[in-house]
Amino acid sequence: MGLRFHWSMSAAGDPDRATKARSQVSGIPDMDAHVEFCRVAEQCGVEYLLTACGFHRPDALVLAAALGMVTARIKFLVAVRSGLFNPTVFAQQVNTISVLTGGRIALNLVNGHSDQEQRCYGDFLGRDQRYARSDEFLDVCRALWAARGPLTHHGRYFRVENAVLNTPFLAPGRSAPELYVGGASAQAVQQACRYDACLLTTPAPPEELAARLAPIRARGGRAGLIVGLIARPTRAAAVAAAEQLLARAGGAARVVHRSFRAQSQSAAFAAAFDQSLDREWLTPTLWTGAVPVMGPSATALVGSYDDIAAALLAYRQAGIGEFLFLGWPDLEEMMRFANELSPRVREQEAALC
Amino acid sequence: MLTFHWRLLQGGEQAGSSRAAAALRPETPRPDPAPQSAFCRLAEDLGIAGVLVDIGAAKPDPIVLSAALGLATSRLEFMVACRSGLQSPALLVQQINTLSALLDGRVSLNVVAGTSPAEQRGYGDFLDHDQRYARTAEFLAICKALWRQDGPVNVTGRYYTVADGRLGSRFIAPARHRPELMIGGGSPAARDLAVSHGDCWMRLPDTPAAVAAASRPMLAAGKAVGLRLSLIGAATRRDALDIACALRDDVDRTVPERSLEGGFIARSDSISFKAMHDVAARTEWLTPALWTGLVRSHGAPAVALVGDADEIAGALIDFQQAGVSRFILSGWPKAESMQFFGEHVLPRVRRLERRAAAE
Repeated sequence: MGLRFHWSMSAAGDPDRATKARSQVSGIPDMDAHVEFCRVAEQCGVEYLLTACGFHRPDALVLAAALGMVTARIKFLVAVRSGLFNPTVFAQQVNTISVLTGGRIALNLVNGHSDQEQRCYGDFLGRDQRYARSDEFLDVCRALWAARGPLTHHGRYFRVENAVLNTPFLAPGRSAPELYVGGASAQAVQQACRYDACLLTTPAPPEELAARLAPIRARGGRAGLIVGLIARPTRAAAVAAAEQLLARAGGAARVVHRSFRAQSQSAAFAAAFDQSLDREWLTPTLWTGAVPVMGPSATALVGSYDDIAAALLAYRQAGIGEFLFLGWPDLEEMMRFANELSPRVREQEAALC
Repeated sequence: MLTFHWRLLQGGEQAGSSRAAAALRPETPRPDPAPQSAFCRLAEDLGIAGVLVDIGAAKPDPIVLSAALGLATSRLEFMVACRSGLQSPALLVQQINTLSALLDGRVSLNVVAGTSPAEQRGYGDFLDHDQRYARTAEFLAICKALWRQDGPVNVTGRYYTVADGRLGSRFIAPARHRPELMIGGGSPAARDLAVSHGDCWMRLPDTPAAVAAASRPMLAAGKAVGLRLSLIGAATRRDALDIACALRDDVDRTVPERSLEGGFIARSDSISFKAMHDVAARTEWLTPALWTGLVRSHGAPAVALVGDADEIAGALIDFQQAGVSRFILSGWPKAESMQFFGEHVLPRVRRLERRAAAE
């Protein structure tokens, strides 16, 4: 199977992605900007758009439902945390979206960044307990998707009796949504293995990633990389674009991310942040220069179209089968991806087969 | 001026649908955007204020469905049914805020306690009737605090604990900072909740005199009163009665006794559904226009005004004089009965209202 390409929609309508404190970000979706984002993604051959979750954002499920009604092909990768709702309600919402959109929904299970944010939703568990609860949440959801009759589950975190949902999960060739697990920790890797989910992980040099992904590869599982993209005709142009990005973001953003790092419990984010302070280039194309200013999701592949196509193929060798990209701004980068990168990658993939 | 909502058409819904008949259908109600959007646009054209989007394990999720159908309309309000105990208050507020932004504020909430303990347990909710109302009070207090947007929300309650609660979204609507809250139910717990947290008490019908008596404390507390009611209207009263009898006889002929509403009621802990079921067993006509004949098969909200357009309009005005200002209506089939209402009853209601205002 060829490499699969997805994109983050979390900055649709926000030209200053990740430079403001989360409490300053508007959680009011700009519908026109989101619809435009979806249309361009459809034209560019993007498969999934990630709708992120967080207290500062619009609700990911409601947004995906609305966008699903005004688009035809693009699919939505909806981020979800356990502990915000009962699994039966959650499955009912996901099933409803699947019926409305012809099954264009998948789930990206995330653990939550910080105790502080979780408490605003009434969730007082610690990081490790949240992983255990997410496992149980998925157990109940999967049982509901597989159910031929009423489901009873008495677990540690959830108890449901004779749960029945009349609205099924409907998608071509599937009876349950495709699953992704976000993270880089041992728990995230375990969770991805346990649920046959694709581990959606944070960037590192290919050889380092290969070690992280060893348990997944050993069982034939799937892995994907979340990474920024700054691709230009030449390496010099790409580096110049990266520097411009840094200059635009400015010093205030640096303070924002230092304080976010201090609160975050995410192993993946913490590692990416700390490593960026040591080295700006992890490989000749993998750049962390913007991370202190724009956060760990600003780790980016920077280079010429040929450089980056080669880097994507190197990741493929290391066990990465999918990419979820971000760009600055997204839509221009997405069009460069479609016109320049994607043809190069497909050609080289074909040569490998 | 009276406000009229209509129950949303369910996916795959047939003429004459009853709870009992639905239970016998192999095909369950799935969201069906094309006919449901058409129904919503028809409601808009007829001057209906909004649609009630039901909640329950047998149905699609009402928030998601409202997001999908709301985009196909421009004036219609979506009254989203909601129960506490299914999600964290911050998540509900975040979902409703997102919906409000997509629909320019055309969102209100119909807060219900649930009618079946067995169904609630499927959602992990093991509380009894009065505890559910107590939890709903706490739930709404937190939601309203989040909607006020006047600082972090900290609550240590019996059912919920929230620390430093805040959201990046707010409720987007012209001149409102939160959705209107209808509180459904006839029990003392429901009435208390309507007074403490609601904007409108939504109840089942009774005689206008009984409704007036029960409404007094609500109106005194500054709350509106609404009725859930069905309509069976036709050109003449005779025709309307024929339709009503045909609906009842059709159920008697095709639905076995065990599938009728009695079985649902026996397992329900809804005070007002049970009470209405008992009333229907004793009395077929609460007033010359208010008929309980379908309660046995179609459930408590099937108490219906039966008659020609003048009789129905007059009966609605009688309820207005008893203190009622809103209605959630339904009929069989939903679209056709809504069309009869919009074309024949609503103009008469408005005329009677204008005449009353002039006097």
